[in-house]
Amino acid sequence: MRRAVRRSAWAALAVVALLTLLSALPALAQDAAKEPAYRAFPLIGSRLAVWAVAQLHLNFAAFILGVPIFAVIIEAIGWRNGEAQYDWLSHELVKLTFAAFSTTALLGALLLFLFIGYYPKFWTYMTSIFFPTYGIYAALFFAETFTVYIWYYGWDWLSGPRKWIHVGLGVLSNLFGTAILLVANSWVTFMMSPAGIDDSGALKGSVWAAINNFTWMPINIHRLIANIVFGGTICAAYAAFRFLGATTDEERARYDWMGYIGNFVALSAFIVLPFAGYYLGREIYAFNQTMGITMMGGFMSWLWIIQAILIGVLFMGSNYYLWLGMERIPGSERYRRYVPMLIGILAFGFMVWATPRSMVITLDEARAMGGTHHPLLGFLGVMSAKNTAVNMMILTTFLSFVLYRRANRVSTKSWAPIGMAIQWAALGVAAAIVIFFGVYGYFVESLVRIGFSVYQVLAVLGAIFVVMAIDIPMFKGARSTGAIRWGTIAARSQYVLILLAVTFTWLMGLMGFARSGIRQHWHVYGVMRDNSVDAATPAIGYAANMITLVTIAFFLLVLFIFWLGGLGEKGRAEAHGHAAPVIAGGSGPMSGESRGGRNPLLK
Amino acid sequence: MRVPVAVKVGAFALVVMGTYTYYANSIPQIQSKPPAELSLEGGNVTPAQLVKAGEEIFHTKGTCEICHRIGQKGTRAPDLAGIGARAGKTKPGMSAKQYIIESLLQPGAYIVEGYPNIMPQVDKPPIALNRSELWALVAFLESLGGNVDVTLDDIPKTAGAAAAGGAAVEIKIPGDPKAGEVVFTTKGGCIACHKAGKIGASPVGPDLSQIAKIQTPDYIMKKILDPAGSGTVAGFPKGVMPPMFGQTLTAKEYVDLVAFLMTLK
Repeated sequence: MRRAVRRSAWAALAVVALLTLLSALPALAQDAAKEPAYRAFPLIGSRLAVWAVAQLHLNFAAFILGVPIFAVIIEAIGWRNGEAQYDWLSHELVKLTFAAFSTTALLGALLLFLFIGYYPKFWTYMTSIFFPTYGIYAALFFAETFTVYIWYYGWDWLSGPRKWIHVGLGVLSNLFGTAILLVANSWVTFMMSPAGIDDSGALKGSVWAAINNFTWMPINIHRLIANIVFGGTICAAYAAFRFLGATTDEERARYDWMGYIGNFVALSAFIVLPFAGYYLGREIYAFNQTMGITMMGGFMSWLWIIQAILIGVLFMGSNYYLWLGMERIPGSERYRRYVPMLIGILAFGFMVWATPRSMVITLDEARAMGGTHHPLLGFLGVMSAKNTAVNMMILTTFLSFVLYRRANRVSTKSWAPIGMAIQWAALGVAAAIVIFFGVYGYFVESLVRIGFSVYQVLAVLGAIFVVMAIDIPMFKGARSTGAIRWGTIAARSQYVLILLAVTFTWLMGLMGFARSGIRQHWHVYGVMRDNSVDAATPAIGYAANMITLVTIAFFLLVLFIFWLGGLGEKGRAEAHGHAAPVIAGGSGPMSGESRGGRNPLLK
Repeated sequence: MRVPVAVKVGAFALVVMGTYTYYANSIPQIQSKPPAELSLEGGNVTPAQLVKAGEEIFHTKGTCEICHRIGQKGTRAPDLAGIGARAGKTKPGMSAKQYIIESLLQPGAYIVEGYPNIMPQVDKPPIALNRSELWALVAFLESLGGNVDVTLDDIPKTAGAAAAGGAAVEIKIPGDPKAGEVVFTTKGGCIACHKAGKIGASPVGPDLSQIAKIQTPDYIMKKILDPAGSGTVAGFPKGVMPPMFGQTLTAKEYVDLVAFLMTLK
């Protein structure tokens, strides 16, 4: 209890410090007006200092905003079904978030100091536009902090008949967290696609016009989904780490299950992430064609090839994990014959997606290739082919998931054959629509072609909806072919989970560089020019070195924080009344299909 | 000996990140540099020099090449091969240079059939070409099949007014402009080569009468201290401007001189 009070006191102190800082901003801004436009950060320079702290802050923020979203869903499932392991898992997830909370706030404050100190003119300008939002941000931060604290420390107090209040607190903390994200995104997106200002850069009317700029809503959606993916992969990696170091079968079973849930969450959100990315890309083009074209075909063109490779790794890794997971499910042998076909589609899609089109190349390279595009493969580099590839990869991943879900279940419904036929037909029709518009896209103007991606996305989402709408009732009360042997999954599967976490974290860094880099030599695009010594946007290799260093620092910090969090729990396995549950696995099969025979989150 | 899990996992993560990093470093490395400002005002520029400068802008600061090709049909924007000859016949009553200037400053005024209305105004941020750069660019486009007859006076005086990148970054030079004018005419000796409004008339160096309108304070400050390193205005001989002002002028005189030059609009 004393520890809890001490933690609360530290958090309260941090919030008060932040509020004091924010309240002092107008004075600081006035001082800044008399100051130089830039100062140089010692040794590494201001840009690298801001880059490192911003990326670390965003990584931690994504984690603490993403994890509670699915933690509260898991808690609600446990509450409605009365199954203790979900409550334990939810508590475990919030514990991880909780440990990272203070670090996120500290990094945010550090970032603020860097802006005020090293980019005073820039910060003065941003303050002249967004000052009204600072108070809102601080208030939301306050509300979020204390809601999460009550949510975490009130776990036992608000149990039993008061559990609905506890789940409500979880929902509330997510709402506050999302609102914080929306406010912070308005600052970042304004820098990319400024709005609501006159030619001199001054605010014309309400600050709302500056907030609601072209890229604000797309980034909100994209980041919200990406945060869930990120949170899922980090939790899965944590579980994998614990699995690999487990000394008992029970522990292995528990963390195998946790890793599966983390990956399931990440995968579910990841499937829709490319659609959010398209929306963002479309809005960037709508805001400024030059910016869009520079992003996709200018000096950043190679960046998207690296992105394609990383996303390909994520798709392949997620599917491979599911196929490895099926090996611990009795009855899954029926579906193994589909795996080569799934690998084929994924590999082909991967290759198409990673095919370059408009590349910046040397004259010699262009001469050797006979032009700026490869005569044959160049056709696979255009958007038509890439949209088709990614939609097919999404459909394939979804199919892997469906097969995993029904691996040890046999439907007892009389209409099951018809249901399955409709499901296959839905997948087949979706694939046909995706391929049709992919090919047709080569024969129409670019503006028409852009619209085709909407039909492709709708076809895929429609198929996912139809298949799941049939699948859930079809497998309700299904006959089990055996319980999942949690904990017996191959150890290499856990390295896949770590691969996914590392890759996604690295990808976040890369996308951060892309988002920031497309402004090129502008602090605020087209409004406030970057006149600092770091005005040039670095090449991809330099960015990659930086991303790697920051990603290493992030994982070291995460390890340290989790280790610190674990110190307090050592020797008190039943702290807060949350005894680690026994999951069916190596210690012997458990009865009841809910523990072992069914997908825990999709009943 | 058992390798600890943390070591195995850490090594695995490093290999993964190392692979991505290696790949990113092995592909072409392209840095996006801030575009340099070009000043041609007051200079005796030949058409050939103007066209050359315009071609450079076409490929770099103007970012024209992202959408336009020369001799190749694009999907986003028309092929510019022969535009110098074609432009005079596109809009009735409009000469080639008038049509090209209108296309650059008001791209939506006339849309070539089959292409979307996506071209930005090139004298506005983020491209933000100044008058000199517009002049050179028009000359280059005219040269593609036509005659180069554009003069600086053909470019509207208001064009490129927002080229500095917004008032938000306006820098106040703390010096005294009046004292700076004295430095310009006496100790600095600038008047020997440059014209500044009513002062001076020598054609040795570029006319600085509107230097504050077309150049940034950063450029002017650097140019005084490092003339050769800041490039030479097209049409003027290289290496003429003395490089010793950093030693001969005091800090106050230097700041005063910059403050004076920043009044020349």
